[in-house]
Amino acid sequence: MSVHRPASALHPFAERSTPRMDRRAVLLGGLATMSAPWLLSACGGGSKNDPESRTAATGEAKPGGTLTVARPPASNAETLDPASSLSAYEYLGALYNRLVKQAEDGTLAPDLATEWETKDAKDWTITLRKGVTWHDGKPFTAKDAAYTLQHILDPDTQSPQAGVLAPFVDPQAITTPSDDVLKISLKSPNAEFMSLLVNYNCYVIPDGSAKTIGASGIGTGPFKLDSFEPAGKGAVTANPDYFDGRPVLDRIEFTAIANVSARVNALKAGQVDLVAQTNLDFATIKVVQNTAGITTATVKNAQMYTMPMLCTKAPFTDPDVRKAFKIAYDPDSVLELSIHGLGTAAHNNPVLPTDPYFLDYSLTPDPEQAKSLLDKAGFKGAIELFTSDYDPVLTPMSLAFKDSVKSAGIDVSIKNSPADSYYTEVWIQQPFCASYWYTGRPVDQLLNQIFRGGSSYNESMWDDGEFADVLDAARAEVDDEKRKTLYQDAQRLLIDNDGTILPFFADRTIGLSSKIVNYKEYGFEFDYMNIGFAA
Amino acid sequence: MIARVLLRRLVLALVTVWLAATLVFIALQALPGNLATQILGQDATPEAVASLNEKFGLNRPATERYVDWLAGAVQGDFGDSMVKQKPVVELVGQGLRNSGLLAGIVILAGITLSLVLGVITALFRDRWPDLLISMGSLIGMSIPEFTVATLLVLLFSIRFTLFPAVVTDGPNAPISALLDVVWLPAMALTIVMAAYIVRMMRTSLIDVLASEYVTMARLKGMSPSRVLLHHALPSALLPTLNVIAINIAWLVGGVVVVESVFNYPGLGTVMLDAVRDRDLPTLQFIAVVGAAVYVTVNLLADIGAVALNPRLRTTGKAG
Repeated sequence: MSVHRPASALHPFAERSTPRMDRRAVLLGGLATMSAPWLLSACGGGSKNDPESRTAATGEAKPGGTLTVARPPASNAETLDPASSLSAYEYLGALYNRLVKQAEDGTLAPDLATEWETKDAKDWTITLRKGVTWHDGKPFTAKDAAYTLQHILDPDTQSPQAGVLAPFVDPQAITTPSDDVLKISLKSPNAEFMSLLVNYNCYVIPDGSAKTIGASGIGTGPFKLDSFEPAGKGAVTANPDYFDGRPVLDRIEFTAIANVSARVNALKAGQVDLVAQTNLDFATIKVVQNTAGITTATVKNAQMYTMPMLCTKAPFTDPDVRKAFKIAYDPDSVLELSIHGLGTAAHNNPVLPTDPYFLDYSLTPDPEQAKSLLDKAGFKGAIELFTSDYDPVLTPMSLAFKDSVKSAGIDVSIKNSPADSYYTEVWIQQPFCASYWYTGRPVDQLLNQIFRGGSSYNESMWDDGEFADVLDAARAEVDDEKRKTLYQDAQRLLIDNDGTILPFFADRTIGLSSKIVNYKEYGFEFDYMNIGFAA
Repeated sequence: MIARVLLRRLVLALVTVWLAATLVFIALQALPGNLATQILGQDATPEAVASLNEKFGLNRPATERYVDWLAGAVQGDFGDSMVKQKPVVELVGQGLRNSGLLAGIVILAGITLSLVLGVITALFRDRWPDLLISMGSLIGMSIPEFTVATLLVLLFSIRFTLFPAVVTDGPNAPISALLDVVWLPAMALTIVMAAYIVRMMRTSLIDVLASEYVTMARLKGMSPSRVLLHHALPSALLPTLNVIAINIAWLVGGVVVVESVFNYPGLGTVMLDAVRDRDLPTLQFIAVVGAAVYVTVNLLADIGAVALNPRLRTTGKAG
């Protein structure tokens, strides 16, 4: 799941924690709205009713303070080992650094690596930051960075990122000529190799710490671990020796709350300042915005929603049927109906419009053409679409899609399946289902992991030789412009031929105290340095 | 004679617990997915699943695992949680302790209150106190508990900040940390549960008050309070006892929804997590504990019935 969920891979478990409660959460949200007039009448705000306009406050933060965060537990077995699929996501960015991180414009930015270079996309020389120390006082060296990669690739770690790195990195082919230089010789060329290290499984841990890191949390990051209890309480305190300066806050306290309504109640009652990794439903957004002392903030395009059509099963073995389904619906109406327009229409392209490699190309929605394609293919018109309460948007999206494709003569019947076995029993097994992914994956990982034949995450089972060849050519191409063109060619092939209906990217709306300033989150990045309380 | 009855009940109780545990074991085999697929989710490649199954011993036949479990269980070894790598006795014990605190408060305060309300409704039959209490308790019973819980949070945590809305201390919270948060869940449970007891108490007391021996007691000139407390109430409590017993068992094992809404680290939360993770040893032990609680409170209710029933009491003494 990690793949799916950046944060949540956990986030897998995040929403999964109380699958049976999800529908209730929606009900509760509605109920809370109804109750608001008589219970919360004193809190009504004048112009607070426009969710689109809300962004986190920025401004001067006063130094110090303790932030309390409610978070969804990854599992009862969650750990501080970043490489694990059960890592406690919210702690990772506070405790650790990666070699590289993602800038807001989608490009790579230095973290523990300051420079990286390659001539042939195979032999990489990575220069590391000098003068960095671990939380236990030991100096950070290239050996730690090498060990981190070996730890991710170790089969015992069961890291979700292992499958992404293994085709390129041979654990034996990592050398450390000096304390601040890491050399990696890839098995096959990949000019985008560094972007694979942005993933939250790739936080750097100390040499030899595989057995202890899950509890010790020793990193190089802006906060040091004070305490950690799986699926319980924990705290981190500011690291005064952090290489990038001291963070604004003195301390962050985390509390794990599995139930979504309970997490939001904790915020409303003032027990926590921020509810992490929790996408509020529309009714709850209204309630939170109309409650004194708390507000909402938006993470743009945090999740992408898909409806994979299995290319290996009828009727989707026929490319005409897939194309017909892709042009049969109106993306804008599906976006509006499913999530009240709180997102961006994707037009079946998984690359974010803000990504430097984005290709502005789409098939024009055309129900009439869809109809004639389906007639030609002999498609009878009835299809089952599987959905689940696993995520609150899956079912609204399915219903909106059903409504939108009626005009093309497609008769969709919605099948709801239990959340706790949805991704093991339905996904990549039923011909047509609803699914979603966290965004934040760099283009190379995104296209290769979710859309290329042979990957276990390829949810539509589209296996296209030309697409694979273009991706391999892009990886081998060291010229930036030419490589960009190749990734754009890949996007065009994908949009024209693959089996994924991708109507929109959805924003994530989280709840937080109105006193918080400089909350910023995108992709796998959370700004732990600048978040604080208003001066 | 009482001893023989008790011994027979005890043997039956053990058989009941064993049957419950066995049925749960069979039911768990039928659930889709297992620990490996639940942990891995979308990362569940066949190799990863196989390696985890091997690690947790899930690739052995179900009958073999059942026999192993039973052999351990009769010696008091219920195994370790596959997820937390801790003895299930410790894990479930912690949840049971926390649920016990909640149940204890509900039993002491909630059930006492319900009984008193029940007596009032019977004494004021069809007059306004009866109508008010009956209607109120029936409304409380009819609203789902998660709604009651949410309304209580809105009122007592958000509108008036009297109590915390959720437990933020996690599963290892000491009892002392739970003392200030236990009240809202206790109120929610009392509201949901009260109607059963109030109605039972009302019906049964009205019956008893109409009986000949109560009329006789009155005719003999006993004070109304003595008639009520010494003659009517003990008999009226008899049928109510079983309702109370079932409610107590429900409190200890089945308050999953209320615990979840308050993030209360009780047995219901442990069970919910264990079902989600397909943590078989933990679920098995919860089944044993749940069955044991049901059997015990029912046994106690029967013993209480003997104590309250003059006829059974006399027979006991004679024997």
